Amino acid sequence: MCDNEKEEAANLKEEFEWVLREEVHSILHQLHTVLVECAHRFPVPLYGNEGQKQDKFILTSQPEQLKCIVTLTGDSITHADISFKVLRQMHTICRTSINQDGPWKLQQIQDAANHLQQAIGYIDNVDKHYVFRSSDEVLHIIQCLLGSLQRARTALVLPKKKAIDELMKSRNMKALSPNLPEDLAISFYIQSHKLIFVAYQLSSVHGTMRIDSCQADCAVPWLSDVLYMLTASLHMCQQLKDKLCVFSQYKDFTVGSRSASMVFN
Amino acid sequence: MPGTNLIVPVVLWGKYAPTHCISSVYLSRDQKTLVTGCYDGQVCIWQVEPETLKMTPRCLLVGHTAPVTCISRASIIQDNNFIVTSSEAGEMCTWDLVDGKCRESVKITQVHTNIQAYHMCNSEDLRLFCNGYYAEILIMDPFSLELMFSLSSKMNPDWISALHVLRPSSRKDDVVLAISITGTVKVWSLLGHENKQSEPIYENESKQIRCLNALSLNCCAHNQRTVLIVCAKYCQIYDAGDFSVLCSITAPAGERWMSGDFMATDRVLVWSTEGKGYLYKLPANSVPDHKGFHGPTVAHDSPVLYGMLAHPDNKLLSCPPAMRLVATSSGGKQRRLLLRGDSHGVVSLWSVDDSAPLTQTVLTHAPLVTTSLDAAWAAMAPRPVGVLDQMHAPDEPEIKLTACIYLLAANRLVVGRDDGSIVIVNATHTVQLHLLHGTHQQLHDWPPHQLLLGHNGRVNCLLYPHHVHPRYDKSYLVSGGIDFAVCLWELYSGVLLHRFCVHGGEITQLSVPPPDCSPRIQKCICSVASDHSVTLLSLSERKCVTLASRHLFPVVTIKWRAADDFMVVATCDGAAYVWQMETAHLDRVLTGMMAEEVLAACDATAADELGGALAELQAGQANPALHFFRGLRHRNLNAMLTATQRGLQALQGGGGAGGGPGPLSEPAHSRRAPLTVQGFRANPKGKVPIIFEHGPKRGLQALQGGGGAGGGPGPLSEPAHSRRAPLTVQGFRANPKGNVFTDGS
Repeated sequence: MCDNEKEEAANLKEEFEWVLREEVHSILHQLHTVLVECAHRFPVPLYGNEGQKQDKFILTSQPEQLKCIVTLTGDSITHADISFKVLRQMHTICRTSINQDGPWKLQQIQDAANHLQQAIGYIDNVDKHYVFRSSDEVLHIIQCLLGSLQRARTALVLPKKKAIDELMKSRNMKALSPNLPEDLAISFYIQSHKLIFVAYQLSSVHGTMRIDSCQADCAVPWLSDVLYMLTASLHMCQQLKDKLCVFSQYKDFTVGSRSASMVFN
Repeated sequence: MPGTNLIVPVVLWGKYAPTHCISSVYLSRDQKTLVTGCYDGQVCIWQVEPETLKMTPRCLLVGHTAPVTCISRASIIQDNNFIVTSSEAGEMCTWDLVDGKCRESVKITQVHTNIQAYHMCNSEDLRLFCNGYYAEILIMDPFSLELMFSLSSKMNPDWISALHVLRPSSRKDDVVLAISITGTVKVWSLLGHENKQSEPIYENESKQIRCLNALSLNCCAHNQRTVLIVCAKYCQIYDAGDFSVLCSITAPAGERWMSGDFMATDRVLVWSTEGKGYLYKLPANSVPDHKGFHGPTVAHDSPVLYGMLAHPDNKLLSCPPAMRLVATSSGGKQRRLLLRGDSHGVVSLWSVDDSAPLTQTVLTHAPLVTTSLDAAWAAMAPRPVGVLDQMHAPDEPEIKLTACIYLLAANRLVVGRDDGSIVIVNATHTVQLHLLHGTHQQLHDWPPHQLLLGHNGRVNCLLYPHHVHPRYDKSYLVSGGIDFAVCLWELYSGVLLHRFCVHGGEITQLSVPPPDCSPRIQKCICSVASDHSVTLLSLSERKCVTLASRHLFPVVTIKWRAADDFMVVATCDGAAYVWQMETAHLDRVLTGMMAEEVLAACDATAADELGGALAELQAGQANPALHFFRGLRHRNLNAMLTATQRGLQALQGGGGAGGGPGPLSEPAHSRRAPLTVQGFRANPKGKVPIIFEHGPKRGLQALQGGGGAGGGPGPLSEPAHSRRAPLTVQGFRANPKGNVFTDGS
């Protein structure tokens, strides 16, 4: 190795130690701030957040197919007046409602909140004065963080698909008053920053089951904020990971391989 | 005739063990089998001698794509050799421990964090009680991996963070005791006739306690009156009667608790993230037999630490080790062992019963047994063979192999190494050298090899484009390295034709665009780098045609819409970037459902196009696989039957037709090859053990034939590989694109 290369390697090593000592903690701190802010946008009790905010939304579809007035309290729809036209029988209007006794729980919100809480927990577990000694240690934490944040985001962005009979049997459907006829079902779910309402109608055409649906949606303001912050923090995590991966090319780098005084001052 | 399709895989592991950062551990009741799961998704089976507890790695199971979080036994029967594993991606598998085959696998949307196997009353075998990132408790069958029934909550439904199933001594039914992450303790009573169809089963009782994010919950087996709940910062003993706190133990400074259990009515073992076990004697108010039970906390009577289970050397770990307390019985002897598996792949075992509280001083106990994959490798004499061992003097350190491809037609093995060199050797000769005894082993510098020098640092990936499509020049070999460069080589002369330096990060993947792209793109290969950029590099023009570099997250896959000139780049955050190939114009960035749909649509068109390609081969009939699925969708049995027959014909005819470009001819072709070679990478940064798969008869014939043609070695004796392979690899297809390492058909 010529002198230039040696010098470069020495500089890189110094930089690496700086990243472990200063940069990692500073980025984790920033991340913590963003994630706590994100947690405070959730309408449920979460990380020192008072919780239980209430919002009202009106969901309608264009040709007056369906109309739904929804009260969202925390992660549940505590009240809703629902009316929609039954397909192919244009004059029948089906009405039902959700009331306090049988709220419709949006599991996606609770899942996202729990994943977020877990992510904050990973950062809380790192003592501010802890001295990282290898990139593997940090990468493990980042990997856990990335996993939790990704799951939190996915919970909101990609609603889980459910079979129609599973939906019909669900506790949410049974809590409707009055109950819907057997060939009708409704569903509420979150998709990105929107609350979506769908009405399904089952019919039998030549012996095969056919499902028709019509839907309406509305934007939920706090969801946009939450998604924005989750995406931003995911990006910060990824950048820190990329930064560390640059150094992991030099496998023999571990803190302390140079001089101890540099590390623990 | 089963013999002709039998494939015998042989793994050349090399001198050093693969990385194994343990995420979960399990020891069978009879102390004969230890199982470790790791963060990269592999599961290692260890054979344990019940008397000496000597552990030998026996089998590496490949299939999970994410960290293995839970391992559980599958049956109540002592010598039933099945286990169930579950990963963070929601994959669950039932494995046969004897031959390492995956008997059943499912992928579910609910991800488990904990599984307790429990023998319910009214059921003939074990049921898995699972909790995780969902609000219910799922009860699953370990062999079919089907959901039997689930337990729901009425009060504050939330994720369950820990559960314990037990049978109260006075009763015949089973009781599930669980705590939600927000601290609601719940009790379900099971009668044994629950099923999927029954109405939701709600808790019988629930109580809110001040305990957030519990990690484990265990009821004392001796009196069933006290409960130990462990949280990261403290663990507490509760009275099961009214769930009031009796005493609390704070975690040592700088450590967090992970889990714990009762040793006796008055003693607990708790273990921490540092991988240490702590034994405490409980104060009188926490011991039901004592007259002071449930009394107020007395200042002089607090939990007393009387023993520690720790490693004498405090080696730096990159993550908290996986630990588990197991009760075993072997040779009529019951005992309890604390297991630990850490990030270096080291497994340790402590016997817990030996450490009774005798003195006032705190005794530190060293593990009974400690072993690791590295130790198993070091104990091998001779060391497990590596594919390029002939190139090193015995005392030299091995240069890690980092990439590998096998050129079927030329029967050459191309291996990229950590130092930037690429070695090309004759595959049969190499196999002969390492696995068969003969005079050729005495020959100096045999087999001859070719060395390509051009990369500065690790070679990450290799591509032989002609294999994928015959439109590429037969002599082109492409390699990508840590030095940000993609190199184009003339395979036969070993000349470096061109070095593409367009990426800003190390090259991670090389692939080939589909054959229906524009003529210019058809001459390109596609490369992906760690700076999240994707390029199309023209091999004929020797320049970069398209640089797509605005991705915020690592690239996962690349899909093609050749007809529209679109390249769709999927990144790990679930986004899809749609690029125009010719103009390098970023057409759209999609996220969420839209991204999923566009990616799925690319697959559909690709399938249709492949079907079309096959149609040319098969006189205007579409891809039988598509027909089969269409038949399945419409429940048309006849259509399915014809499709299956045609598919089988295509499989049988494909190889004979001379390896045309149809989609089915390629796998058929490789199945017929007497020898195939695959690199198998445990970890992106790890080295690559190499797997040879050969049919026993034709493969050996090929070996002998190859030897004769080489002119060097004389007669060959018995294969000696069975002795030399320390571990075998078994796999299942986790997803349609995953690799299968063995094929038992």
